[in-house]
Amino acid sequence: MGARLGIANGVHSDTRGTIMAIDRREFLVRAAGAAAAVALVPEAFPAAVRARNGPVSVGVIGCGRQGRKIAIEMLDKMGEGARVAALCDPVDRLTQNLLGRAKGAAAFANHKEMLDKAKDVQAVIIATPTHTHKDIALDCIAAGKHVYCEAPLAHTPEDCLAISKAARGAKAVFAAACEGRSNPIYNLARSFFKTDAVRTVVGMYAQDHRKSSWGRSGDWWLDPSVSTGLAGESGVQQFDVMHWFRGTYPVEVNGRGAIRLYEDGRQVADSVRATLRWADDTELTYSASLCNSFGGKHETFYGVNAAMKLAWTHGWMFKEADSPQMGFEVYANRQSFHNDEGITLIADATKLASQGKLKEGVGLPNPSHYYAVNDFIAAVAEGKEVKCSASEGARATIVALLTNEAVKGAKTVAIDAEMLKGA
Amino acid sequence: MPPVLMALEAMGTRFEAVLVGEDEFALRSAGEAAFEEIRSLHARLSAFEQGSVVSLLNQRAAAGPVRVAGDVFGLLSLCRGVWEASGGAFDPTVGPLMRLWGFRQRGGEDWNPPTDAEVEAARARVGMNLVQLDAESWSVRFSRPGVAVDFGAVAKGYALDMCAEVLRERGVACAFVHGGTSSISAIGAPPGAAGWVVEVKSPIEGVGSKRVSLRDESMSVSAPHGREVMVRGERLGHVIDPRTGRPARGAALAAVVSRSGALADAWSTAGLVLGGGADRLPEGMRMMVLSQGGVWEG
Repeated sequence: MGARLGIANGVHSDTRGTIMAIDRREFLVRAAGAAAAVALVPEAFPAAVRARNGPVSVGVIGCGRQGRKIAIEMLDKMGEGARVAALCDPVDRLTQNLLGRAKGAAAFANHKEMLDKAKDVQAVIIATPTHTHKDIALDCIAAGKHVYCEAPLAHTPEDCLAISKAARGAKAVFAAACEGRSNPIYNLARSFFKTDAVRTVVGMYAQDHRKSSWGRSGDWWLDPSVSTGLAGESGVQQFDVMHWFRGTYPVEVNGRGAIRLYEDGRQVADSVRATLRWADDTELTYSASLCNSFGGKHETFYGVNAAMKLAWTHGWMFKEADSPQMGFEVYANRQSFHNDEGITLIADATKLASQGKLKEGVGLPNPSHYYAVNDFIAAVAEGKEVKCSASEGARATIVALLTNEAVKGAKTVAIDAEMLKGA
Repeated sequence: MPPVLMALEAMGTRFEAVLVGEDEFALRSAGEAAFEEIRSLHARLSAFEQGSVVSLLNQRAAAGPVRVAGDVFGLLSLCRGVWEASGGAFDPTVGPLMRLWGFRQRGGEDWNPPTDAEVEAARARVGMNLVQLDAESWSVRFSRPGVAVDFGAVAKGYALDMCAEVLRERGVACAFVHGGTSSISAIGAPPGAAGWVVEVKSPIEGVGSKRVSLRDESMSVSAPHGREVMVRGERLGHVIDPRTGRPARGAALAAVVSRSGALADAWSTAGLVLGGGADRLPEGMRMMVLSQGGVWEG
């Protein structure tokens, strides 16, 4: 403890993706600042950007499932900060569906046409199939647009590196859609994590379990030539949380997968398991399944003082009986899970408790992509910090892609620290 | 191939779908996409979800115009149209009266009703005339503080409209979807049948049910039974007549069939309050009403 951390056993990066080593003392100082900065009042839209110079004009590239979700979130709640000005998709039905919701938006069949004709577009959301991200991202960066790119950033490590290199050279904002970094509960949890509430991590677990076919044979994410699998499309968000909390990356991954339910001709596993090992021999057990929804999506850190379970809209800390008191336990909201009692992680709990509104703060009112997109708009409109840089997004994606490779080959794959460093 | 059966808990009720076709996996995938639409609309349209667009409107629209997405503006416009055509019998701003009468908080216990003054004070915050809709900017503004919209009476029907749209887009030509059995959407007809046959049960003992055949249509049924409160010994249904500010005493049940589930939902509520009103319906819709005396009309 206390030694300066290197790439092999500990990496911290700033939001521009610069890797730097920091010591534990600095961690604690930063964490104290972070804890003080966290504030969530029980209003549903605490951080909605109100752009001083009028709403940021946004082009949504890719109007399928994710692009549509983001566009609707902007249309519903971010009117003062963002205006959906352009919609791009080769499938006319998808753009038409959103055109009826977005006042004054223009529709385009592809991003090149949009970049050519919609000169008022300042920022773009890239929510196209993963394997198409790179070309679109490079074109948008070259055109000087602010870019929010869905994660995984790309379907190959090479494409990830190309995107992060281009983003580093850009003057405009580039944000990777690793949503945990914008999530108010995750930010609060991380501030506790960094102040040793969990203390030494002895293990990690992440799962994404749902009952869903995930589309049908023919959908691009089920095409084995371009699919990043469950580990890529979903795991990337969870792996990034682990990286962000720990400031380090795994060095090796072992995985396997199977088709257990959806025998519709697909070749992409509907159930996967993987173990990601860190240099300190701690392991993340990862499970994703489309066959059963029990437990949903969450990540858990197991430490000698406490376990911390994060489930995107909710979070809990389960303290060991012999762990030191932290001061807030007296007013903490608690929930029982069989034999365990969790302290609900509520941002700005002290203030809410003093107002007798603690329970109103339980759970997030918005989906996690709301906070991530809102942070992106804040970075564009107000020059605020980018929560996940292209470099961090690329690293999380590379880890996810290598996990998918391990799953597909039922093998162990080394995670090259030099490659991560180059992102 | 047997039909694909699917279910979803959303909007405070259970949605169920029967999907008929040859490709089980295609049907299931289409059903999941359609249910995803319902989930999304639940999150956006619920007055009880802190992060919904309805909550945002109710927090901010009294202070100034709030721009909304086109579908939300369209739904508000639809509500205003039914409010006008029904003479105010259907009103999505009825929330203050619902809260006053305690239909959302109280069980079956007997209690004293609100005073006339309390009813009048609540009514001052009720009425679609207090909701200004600007079609140029798709913005919404409330005329005074305390006004709030609640899509509870149309959301299920609207969600089923969107659900059916997704199913059709994905090639589903034969399906039956309902939300809590009171809102129904029928696509095509079952093999060998003219339509999906639905039985509307009478809430009055001894009165027979009605059978309705649906094909590419929606139906909504409104009835106060099952959600009632006791007021000074009198059993009152949970539907408020926005025109009087008091529990409706119109019909025992109203059912409306329409191409639009949202319109069917809104008009079945209006029909219950009015005790009829088929003559006010837009063209192409039909209404069945069971009077308090147990007589079916329509």
